[in-house]
Amino acid sequence: MEEPRIGVYICWCGTNIAKMVDVEAVASEVGNLPNVVLAKTYKYMCSDPGQDLIIKDIRGHHLNRVIVAACSPRIHELTFRNAVEKAGINPYLFEMANIREQDSWVHTDRSEATKKAIDLVIAAIHRVRFHEPLQKRSVNVDPATLVIGGGISGMVAALEIANAGKKVYLVEKTDHLGGHVARFDLTFPHLSSAKQMIRPIIQRVENHPNIEVFKQSVIRNVNGYIGNFDALVVNGHPEPIELKFGNIIAATGLKPFDPSKIAEYGYGKFPDVITSMEFEEMLSAGKVLTKYGKEPRNIAIIHCVGSRSKVYHEYCSRTCCMVALKFINQIRAGLPDCNIYEIYADMRAYGKGCEEFYAETTHRQIIFLMFDQQEKLPVIKQAERSDNCNMLIEMDEKLSGESIEVPVDMVVLMVNMEAHEDVKEVVHAIGVSLCGNQFFIEKHPKLDPVATTTGGVYIVGTCQGPKDIPDSVAQARAAAARILATIAQGSVAVEVTTAFVNEAFCCGCQTCIKVCPYTAISFNEVKKVSEVNEVLCKGCGTCGSACPSGAITSKHFTDHQILSEIEGIMSMSYKEI
Amino acid sequence: MNFRPTIVAFLCNWCAYTGADLAGTSRMRYAPNIRIIRVMCSGRIDPTFILTAFQQGADGVLVCGCHPGDCHYQTGNYKCLRRFKLIEKYIAQMGIEPERLKLEWISASEGKQFAELVNEMTKAILNAGPSKVKSTLEVKHLKS
Repeated sequence: MEEPRIGVYICWCGTNIAKMVDVEAVASEVGNLPNVVLAKTYKYMCSDPGQDLIIKDIRGHHLNRVIVAACSPRIHELTFRNAVEKAGINPYLFEMANIREQDSWVHTDRSEATKKAIDLVIAAIHRVRFHEPLQKRSVNVDPATLVIGGGISGMVAALEIANAGKKVYLVEKTDHLGGHVARFDLTFPHLSSAKQMIRPIIQRVENHPNIEVFKQSVIRNVNGYIGNFDALVVNGHPEPIELKFGNIIAATGLKPFDPSKIAEYGYGKFPDVITSMEFEEMLSAGKVLTKYGKEPRNIAIIHCVGSRSKVYHEYCSRTCCMVALKFINQIRAGLPDCNIYEIYADMRAYGKGCEEFYAETTHRQIIFLMFDQQEKLPVIKQAERSDNCNMLIEMDEKLSGESIEVPVDMVVLMVNMEAHEDVKEVVHAIGVSLCGNQFFIEKHPKLDPVATTTGGVYIVGTCQGPKDIPDSVAQARAAAARILATIAQGSVAVEVTTAFVNEAFCCGCQTCIKVCPYTAISFNEVKKVSEVNEVLCKGCGTCGSACPSGAITSKHFTDHQILSEIEGIMSMSYKEI
Repeated sequence: MNFRPTIVAFLCNWCAYTGADLAGTSRMRYAPNIRIIRVMCSGRIDPTFILTAFQQGADGVLVCGCHPGDCHYQTGNYKCLRRFKLIEKYIAQMGIEPERLKLEWISASEGKQFAELVNEMTKAILNAGPSKVKSTLEVKHLKS
């Protein structure tokens, strides 16, 4: 191996790092270590001038290893790998030290944070000496796509891909397409018909020559990797259908919150306390009637049911305020004399045309009553005969500061959008992560909101978080565009940090074969050694820690690399004595 | 002089390391004694890594992976757990106190839990004092 010539770059990240870490001290501390040719600091290493600095130094100083101490490698490892590659050295001869997310942003003592940064950079220096050049690999992409979920997001994504001439398999759990949107009557803020919008989409999907729809079906046994997945469609028939596809779109949607968990609202106890979804169906059927078949004279709409609450869900469902305003317009159109009470915690009208919609709806003779979500929820109770109404809502009205009773005949609960409970099954099938609220986690919250950390798996619509129709459709089309781009290229780069066997050390015990979750290792009966199928291996490295003779290890996470990283971390602790 | 413990942590890339990054993005504060090493999966954490950390003078070793059932590589965390049970017994035989080695599951969304975990562990190590392995190393180091 050629002698390592290491360049170390410490990023200020403006003040993000430099404020808490003495970057110059780090540079001078590590600058004289063995194999370190230079150690520099710069304001923003990820900027073009920052990257150019590295490229120029690699060429000018003949560096063959590069370390950038900056943000998390999860953010800019790829940026810098590309930069060093541009300068002509293998991208895997690079290492990052995370001195922002795991140092400057979490510590308050500048000297401690600086010491930590020094330790982390030294660890990277120790590690990078053992880095080896790795060759990029690419695999062909199967042009078919699997879409899980036949709601508006799944259908729009499927159409987008199918219209480009590519095959789509659309798997829907229920016996019909359309998802929740098919149950809506009108949409906000333009009060246009949801059915008129969704029906032609359903028809186009069902009749599209490139889309194969599987209803009342679930997906099982997803195997493979970006470009080359296979799975089974199970739909009650004795023989499951096997599919092959290159990319996956999860569009598994939402579940309305179950309000019977909130005792104050008496859902399930009072027949005329209904959810927003049930009210939608009532509006779709064209008649708003109480359970006694009478037209209600007083309707209350309660916001934030299960949302923005310390007990249920802390997040806002984003759409319910506008749906409530839509209900007001529909009630007013059908029941001009009905008293409408809008019982809200806050009014959120963030979308295009929504604030205007709110302003306009306030002229519909509505009584707006505010409650404090964190203090006391309104309580629904049975009315007396003398009250001349069905139920009473007891509440502390926040703006007036008065405790009041609201007479009502019907209560609509604006329920929160929850993640699906069967989402866990999908997670296991396609290998994506869930956030604390059980929605799928996107690859990057701002820059990559439809991709996931699993290559070839995309998330669209409300399975990623509460959102309205335009946002869901935008995500669906975005994911479709991403997939079409990989199909057009024909091949994609895949993980190179797979396991490898040093045959000279392999004793043939086959322990690695037992622990591999991907059946990527097989035994060569002739040579009596284990062999890795690099296409199946995902580089978890569990074989490496099980191997008794140290013959198998994962590229870029070899024993040498990690052990020297540990030594690097600990190397300064003696200086204390 | 003041005891400044060093805790070496092995975090899996997908859950725990992301959770630790989230603690940073959310500007949570925790004790600065931890040094994180990233591995792709907690299943990669070879017992040798843990022993080497102690041998090199770490006062504590923390291992974090995805919650049971959430492993990015299906079952790596279960394999980590099994190895961990054995290494716990082993370090006890070597005279390393049990509180110096900890395994916890941290998901990508548990930045807060990660910060609390680091603080708790740092406190426990401060109470336990410097690792005995380290003191023998220090003698060696002074002699050499």
